[in-house]
Amino acid sequence: MKTSQQIAAERHFSLSRRHFLRGLGASIALPAFVSLPALGASGTASKLAATATGAPLRTAFVFFPNGAIPSAWWPGQEGADFALSQTLKPLEAHRNMVQVLGGLDHREAEPGPDGAGDHARGNGVFLTGVRLKKSATDIRAGMSIDQAIAREVGHLTRFSSLELTCDSGRGSGSCDSGYACAYQYNLAWSSPTTPMAAEVNPRLVFERLFGSGSHGERRTNLKQRQAEQRSILDFVQAEAKGMGRRLDARDREKLDQYLTGIREIETRIAKAERFGTTVDPDLATPSGVPADYGQHTELMFDMMALAFQTDSTRVASLLLAHDGSNRSFPEIGVSEGHHDLSHHFNTEDKIRKVAEIDLWYAKQFAKFIGKLASTKDVDGRSLLHNSMIVYGGGNADANRHTHSNLPIVLAGAGGGTLNPGRFVKHGSKPTSNLFLSLADRMGVSKLERFGDSTGRLAGV
Amino acid sequence: MPLPRSSRVSFALRFRGVSWLAALAFAGASSALGQTPASAAMTQYRSGIEPVLKEYCYDCHGDGMDKGRVTLDQFASEEAMLGNHELWLHVLKNVRAGLMPPAKKKQPTAEQKQQLEAWIKQAVFRVDPKDPDPGRVTVRRLNRVEYRNTIRDLMGIEFDTQAEFPADDTGHGFDNIGDVLTVSPMLLEKYLAAARTIVTRAVPAVSHVPVEEEVPGRKFARKGMAANGDALSLSYYQTNRVTHRLPVSKPGRYQLQVQVTATEKFVDNQFDYNKARLGFQVDGESLVSQELTRENNRVLRYEFDRTWTAGEHELAFSVDPLTPDQKQVRSLAFRIDSVTVRGPMDGKHFVRPKDYAKFFPKDPPKDRKGRRVYARELLSSFAQRAYRRPVEAETLDRLVAVAEQTYSQKGATFEAGISQAMVAVLASPRFLFREEGVDLASASGAGHPLVDEHALASRLSYFLWSTMPDAELFRWAGEGKLRANLPAQVERMMRDARFEGFIRNFVGQWLQARDVETAQIDSRQVLMREAKPDPDFEAKRARFTELRRKPESELTAAQKQWMDEMRPLFQRRNSQPLRAELNGELRRAMRMETEKTFAYVVRENRSFRELLDGNYTFLNERLAKHYDLADLGVKGDELRRVELPADSPRGGLLTQGTVLVVTSNPTRTSPVKRGLFILENILGTPPPPAPPDVPPLEDAAKAMKEKTLTLRETLELHRQQPLCSGCHNRMDPLGLALENFNAMGMWRSEERALPIDASATLLTGESFTRIQDLKRILASSHSEAFYHTLTEKVLTYALGRGLEYHDVETVDAIVARLTQSGGKPAELFTAVIGSAPFQKTRRAGSGNPLPKETSAPKGGSTPSQP
Repeated sequence: MKTSQQIAAERHFSLSRRHFLRGLGASIALPAFVSLPALGASGTASKLAATATGAPLRTAFVFFPNGAIPSAWWPGQEGADFALSQTLKPLEAHRNMVQVLGGLDHREAEPGPDGAGDHARGNGVFLTGVRLKKSATDIRAGMSIDQAIAREVGHLTRFSSLELTCDSGRGSGSCDSGYACAYQYNLAWSSPTTPMAAEVNPRLVFERLFGSGSHGERRTNLKQRQAEQRSILDFVQAEAKGMGRRLDARDREKLDQYLTGIREIETRIAKAERFGTTVDPDLATPSGVPADYGQHTELMFDMMALAFQTDSTRVASLLLAHDGSNRSFPEIGVSEGHHDLSHHFNTEDKIRKVAEIDLWYAKQFAKFIGKLASTKDVDGRSLLHNSMIVYGGGNADANRHTHSNLPIVLAGAGGGTLNPGRFVKHGSKPTSNLFLSLADRMGVSKLERFGDSTGRLAGV
Repeated sequence: MPLPRSSRVSFALRFRGVSWLAALAFAGASSALGQTPASAAMTQYRSGIEPVLKEYCYDCHGDGMDKGRVTLDQFASEEAMLGNHELWLHVLKNVRAGLMPPAKKKQPTAEQKQQLEAWIKQAVFRVDPKDPDPGRVTVRRLNRVEYRNTIRDLMGIEFDTQAEFPADDTGHGFDNIGDVLTVSPMLLEKYLAAARTIVTRAVPAVSHVPVEEEVPGRKFARKGMAANGDALSLSYYQTNRVTHRLPVSKPGRYQLQVQVTATEKFVDNQFDYNKARLGFQVDGESLVSQELTRENNRVLRYEFDRTWTAGEHELAFSVDPLTPDQKQVRSLAFRIDSVTVRGPMDGKHFVRPKDYAKFFPKDPPKDRKGRRVYARELLSSFAQRAYRRPVEAETLDRLVAVAEQTYSQKGATFEAGISQAMVAVLASPRFLFREEGVDLASASGAGHPLVDEHALASRLSYFLWSTMPDAELFRWAGEGKLRANLPAQVERMMRDARFEGFIRNFVGQWLQARDVETAQIDSRQVLMREAKPDPDFEAKRARFTELRRKPESELTAAQKQWMDEMRPLFQRRNSQPLRAELNGELRRAMRMETEKTFAYVVRENRSFRELLDGNYTFLNERLAKHYDLADLGVKGDELRRVELPADSPRGGLLTQGTVLVVTSNPTRTSPVKRGLFILENILGTPPPPAPPDVPPLEDAAKAMKEKTLTLRETLELHRQQPLCSGCHNRMDPLGLALENFNAMGMWRSEERALPIDASATLLTGESFTRIQDLKRILASSHSEAFYHTLTEKVLTYALGRGLEYHDVETVDAIVARLTQSGGKPAELFTAVIGSAPFQKTRRAGSGNPLPKETSAPKGGSTPSQP
């Protein structure tokens, strides 16, 4: 039997997306977190994924496909007086919080001895910085930077990291030139053999973060779910153990993936107890994957913003579309596929269309940045101030499949540790160097090298 | 245990006319001379193989040449040479396909080719035809489709894995490959949540529930009118009131759940600012009175408690428009979905829940011991079915403990306890993965052991049905008689409706037929290429588009005015109905056409050649019209088999909508993609991927700047580039043959007012002028290549792993059978199921070489050696 309160809540159920968005940033009262160190407190705790004020420090990696038309992407002048280019114009309002990074490469995405497959590599190398094993089934990449960070700071929040994607449909058949599809559809890798499958459905992201049902009942639902899970976990662990004895080494690898997942859930339950009650934003649960791609990307960005705002996680990644994506954009009058267009052979019309697609993506990103900028964090600064958001792609010029001077933007002030509002040319440095510098700021210790890094990226 | 007929045949030696290298002479020679297999292989190499390679291959792949990074004379040692299985498999495939040596070079004789082939298979791969290496399958996780089907058969409910689980990774073109089916923490979390959701939905948690009745919206009627049985939708723009009189037989407390959806028809860039008041009344008392605007198809749910007397009660919905003057753009309406009435909420009126008996054949005993016995009985049968294998006592003990822990809590039911244990089973790795056992009797023998009967049952059911074994398979496996009854069981399974699982998943992936439902095609753009060119209009539109891109501040008044004048012209054009639209209904029909064609050939045991050149296809009215075959008189939505007119260009897979659409770009056809598709999926000789740095076309195209090139001309230009010609000479002719079909799969004779030329010459020499001829050529002189491709695809799908060098013999044997039978599907399925890799397993921990193709297996250490 439902109480009248619950019925009232039901009436609120599934408010439209419009309402949902309106709520974001405005109506969520940020709950007090037991896990947050007292503001301004010093000591080791505050250095881990925290700013100088003690507020949480977040990092996110947003990937867009098929590179960007260089002439439309790059600003002309270096330094603080730079003017945003045609593609990055939408970021104008937050110019002082954005760094355009020139001269970052992903050499491991180049063909080398592996031949074709620049899209699989562009995607799979982006956050890993390692050479991918060219195989359709024997997958071997490397741990991705978001996971390397999450491994160290993940215990601070209910979710060690969040993996999101806007790629809902996946074609049949083989993927790029003999590379396993896993390389092309995953950004995050928790180990060289375990891609972190990303969530595509905004409803499921929301329910995972805050529980199912409508506002007011989510907390109970989440708690109940976890209590039930615990009795199950003991059983399946015993089953896995018995099964492990009967399997050979390579099969045990699969079982290990299973057990890793089980341990994650156990940790989550333990965390829920440690952090006390969870958050239940006064927002409607999104209703699923919108048919409109623009709405879909916006919702996924919203989920990321919400996760950061509620300090549910401090590490996230979002694949807007996999590299090689051939999506067409009728909403801006581009009916040809993105990938096909990107091999433009210097045809003016095609270049222009690709640049418009690049701009479309940048606009989506700018909306997200706008939300972070207008949302206040616990220390009174903006979420954007306390974040480090990488926006980039794994191909530079998709027409020629180059992987040097990649289009990469770093948004946010890193809690004051970054020096945004500039266009900086870094010469020719591994993108992994940037990742190391971000990991440092997140408080990750003992990460001497990452991927193909040659050192830290100076002057960010 | 005798193997079925098929596998005995597939193990038979098949060397046609190879005199000096007959397999027996081989074995004899090595033992007579006291040679190791490796040194025998080298002897043969020196005497028969090396001279051939020298003569025909070293020009490019030896003596310091390494074209395509392939050298055949650079090895660290003899062992390294014989151990490089990858290289030799490459050689075997290329020589067989006639790709190497290239056509313009000197060719080895047929006998020389056979010598080389036999040497690679026997001496390098050391395939033992009597006991071939069955290979290694990584333990397979259920993919999304298998999970959904398994749940359907195990629990009796549909669970939408497509929406709930992330997409599975594919390998070798299929999504059931053990190696790439990984488990991420997120997926595991979803498995746990799914287990809970499924059990909650399927298994009654209590033995008695209140009566529930759903009153659908269509039962509501306007005053003075009878309900007409249609779904009921009330417009925002009109005052309306609809009622339904509900008879209630028992007085008491009732619970009402009301569901209404606020619908709208999307109109681009135009909004609808109308408002209306939605009301819901019971016996005249207002329970809902809510002002609503455009709600984006939101579902509105309300819930109430009522105490009712026996007799009729009136339920009523009302709508009152609030904005009579607003423009009505989006047909805003309230769709009345349902009113669910539950009650009376008094235990004495409760009834048995639906499906109770399916999970609980009798009432639970009251005493503790009796309950425990009953729980064990229920969970034993459930776990065995869920794990698809016998379950040992310890697991049962643990399951009963899980159940007991729940149902012995205060207020908890016995059913809830069993449910909790069922959730545990569905979350277990033994449900999610397909664990396989070894047949103990055969494990003591010398060769590779058979998988046990339960594993065989699962291999069969997931191959042919994409789901778990049914009761009959379980019974045979339980009695240890499945292998003995294999032919009859396979036949039964292929006649079963669940065989649809194979058709959909295999055809959907092999031919990418699934993708037709989501392929991006811009119907207007596609059709425009076939309309008469209108240069004046196109110029205007180009100008308009150019101006529209400019910020408004930069436009002159004259430009603005011109744009305003032009706008209606474009709007008119863009709103003109198209003569064809590739909508969901049509796409679905296309997918089904391909599936039904394949299913027909298999079920009727026709020849697979009909897939290339059949004189029939499957159509419904919509698809027939789309194909210009309306005069065949096909009516209605149901697809049926239709004999095509003599000389029709349709018939066979290649001219079906699925293939034509998935190989197209969004706005036009792509002969290259189509050619590639045929090479990959029909002929089995995919070209290597395009080089990373494709040279730009524009240099060559500059000379022709004045003229717009046709696609055919552009491709010709392209093929003049030496870097491109090698592969495009193979792809383009095949693709160009399909140019009479546009990107939506429709027949056309012109593009941009120029007649289409579909003639070409294949690299293998055959010329043709139209698609009918190409189909005939493929079905006659290339049928063996097609059988080979199909065999490899089916075997990959059946085994859940990529094919390796040691499978060459298995594939060859199946292809031989298939060819001999004239392409009969029954032969293929019997042979695949009877093959060693399907029937057997590498023994775990027996020291089998892992498939590291670079390391040379040491002589004698392979367990396949008797």
